[in-house]
Amino acid sequence: MEIVVLIKPVPEAETRLRPDRGGAELDPAGVKFVLAGYDESAVEQALLLKESAPGTTIRAVSLGPLARSEEVLRAALALGVDHATSVEEPPGVAHDPVQVARMLAFVVSRYSYSLLLGGKQSGDEGSGCVPSAVAEFLGVPDFGSVTDLKWDPIAGRFTFRQSLERTVLSVEAPPPVMIGLQQAWNDPRTAKLPMILRSRKAPIDRVPRAEVEALLARHPRPAVRAVSFRLPPPRMGARMIEYSSPQDAARKLVRLLTEEAKVL
Amino acid sequence: MESSRGSLVAESLEALPLARSLAGPSGEVLGVAPGPIPEAEAARVPADRIRVIDPAAPPGASTAGAAFSLVEAAQDSNASLVLVVGSARGRELAGRVAARWDAGLATGVTEIRPGTQGWTVVRPVFGGRATQELALEGRKAVVALRPHAFSPGSAPSTPPVIEHRAAPTLPPLATGGGVSAEAPVEAGSGPSLAAASIVVSGGRGLRSAENFHLVEELARSLGAAVGASRAVTDAGWRPASYQVGQTGQSVSPQLYVAVGISGAIQHLTGMMSSRVIVAINSDAQAPIFRVSDYGIAGDLFAILPALTEEIRRVRGGPSAPASR
Ligand SMILES: Cc1cc2nc3c(=O)[nH]c(=O)nc-3n(C[C@H](O)[C@H](O)[C@H](O)COP(=O)(O)OP(=O)(O)OC[C@H]3O[C@@H](n4cnc5c(N)ncnc54)[C@H](O)[C@@H]3O)c2cc1C
Ligand SMILES: Nc1ncnc2c1ncn2[C@@H]1O[C@H](COP(=O)(O)O)[C@@H](O)[C@H]1O
Repeated sequence: MEIVVLIKPVPEAETRLRPDRGGAELDPAGVKFVLAGYDESAVEQALLLKESAPGTTIRAVSLGPLARSEEVLRAALALGVDHATSVEEPPGVAHDPVQVARMLAFVVSRYSYSLLLGGKQSGDEGSGCVPSAVAEFLGVPDFGSVTDLKWDPIAGRFTFRQSLERTVLSVEAPPPVMIGLQQAWNDPRTAKLPMILRSRKAPIDRVPRAEVEALLARHPRPAVRAVSFRLPPPRMGARMIEYSSPQDAARKLVRLLTEEAKVL
Repeated sequence: MESSRGSLVAESLEALPLARSLAGPSGEVLGVAPGPIPEAEAARVPADRIRVIDPAAPPGASTAGAAFSLVEAAQDSNASLVLVVGSARGRELAGRVAARWDAGLATGVTEIRPGTQGWTVVRPVFGGRATQELALEGRKAVVALRPHAFSPGSAPSTPPVIEHRAAPTLPPLATGGGVSAEAPVEAGSGPSLAAASIVVSGGRGLRSAENFHLVEELARSLGAAVGASRAVTDAGWRPASYQVGQTGQSVSPQLYVAVGISGAIQHLTGMMSSRVIVAINSDAQAPIFRVSDYGIAGDLFAILPALTEEIRRVRGGPSAPASR
């Protein structure tokens, strides 16, 4: 089986967020971009499938400023991914999911794949729409919010569950298929030192910016432009309820939620 | 619009009044229903027309077919804006529609207004730790709304005109036509996390799986969904599907109640965009209080039963058994 897994470089969870000078974007100064969240789960899922189906190869593809995407690709290589492709992101498209998907689909279509794996949503902006847009460009079906993904070698199908708001579906789908993974692997593997060392020297296939720019030039469209990046007004900290007994605390809280916050 | 078991979901009724107000008095609102809906429901929808796609796609199908119908509707009506319900499937659908229609796209949107060209939208990012404002500068835009960010409106004075369209027949490769053996499973009792307007989550402070029922009873009294911190799912007290946070579900309910949860950044990333946050924690210095609106510093084992009882009293539900 050939798996392509899409990984987006995102700021580390602990990053202190602040707007840049112009106020339109996150200030990237000092921010570490990592493989995280659902994309880390997607890599773990790919490795588990590889272990269950011998002969499987995994290629990770990442679009971003080169230094960032190659950083997460090396992290994936160190975990056991076989091949890596970095796509250098042209300026000004980061917030346009359709253009991002167009570039990813363009690159992915060079490879043969029976499974495309991505995160249900990215760890930073969490749009949750790039995988389905990639699938639309490639003409393959897509399923999001997926857990319990397995390969059934006898039926030649993937089986998985799709965890939607009001129902959980058990689904079987033949390859090729795009999956947006929602599994929370709470214990994804960590890279071993020899693998980390090897990943530093591993080759990464590069798609130069000129190539994707030529693609976008064939599909000119108005931009999705970042206007502002703001931090919410600092929460003042909780209004602490003073109380004489648990019953008193409960009464006061329910009154506040009903009369002041109006959420009950 | 999205429906579940032949009925429109609440989030659909949030999108249409918004569409109505954005369209203005001279604009037209076309609702697209992914399958037959009851007439009484259609009459309550503030749209000029409703296009019903018939037959509905089977529940396990890829969104390819729905995207095809939606783009067709947008082209037929020369639309400038497609609003999509912000459910998990809605976001997927939005991605496909925008790719197919070649439009600007934003998801998880909490505010939208006409911009100098196109639309300006606001959405929480980083799990609500920041907000981003985007300009969608084209003639065509697809916007998926954040659930519960907009209020449902009232029924229109004249019910919409209903039209029918046949569902498309797409090549199996595009739709996952081989999808079979879909077995819809109920997502447990109570509303599920992502759709709930109230969420009650429990953390390590509950000390054991056996105590977790205290959280579930409070949730039941509120008609809320139940969530958990990763400490709880890691310990196996509840399945991973309960987990809220960076590696679990993102939720944005009207009310989020965190019980015995310290407020680690990875947890906050999944719930900071909740409208009102309440924390119950025995440690008055717990970080969760810094992001909460109301706090009770105290022992959850004393507070939770009293709170559940008080809510049942106020709501007139059955009162708790005298002892457990
Ligand atoms: C890569 C990564 C991803 C992660 N993803 C997630 C995620 O998605 N979601 C998530 O939740 N975490 C996540 N975590 C874990 C996170 O860092 C915290 O460890 C976790 O959230 C802690 O859970 P907790 O608040 O329940 O436990 P603790 O931090 O142990 O807090 C327990 C709280 O209970 C209080 N308490 C104890 N007894 C009582 C009592 N009797 N009454 C009232 N209060 C009491 C204590 O004061 C304390 O504040 C992630 C971590 C990593 C490294
Ligand atoms: N720049 C990118 N490079 C590679 N994969 C991406 C990129 N952006 C999004 N993805 C994939 O799409 C998923 C969902 O992202 P999003 O739609 O942006 O929330 C991510 O979890 C990745 O798998």
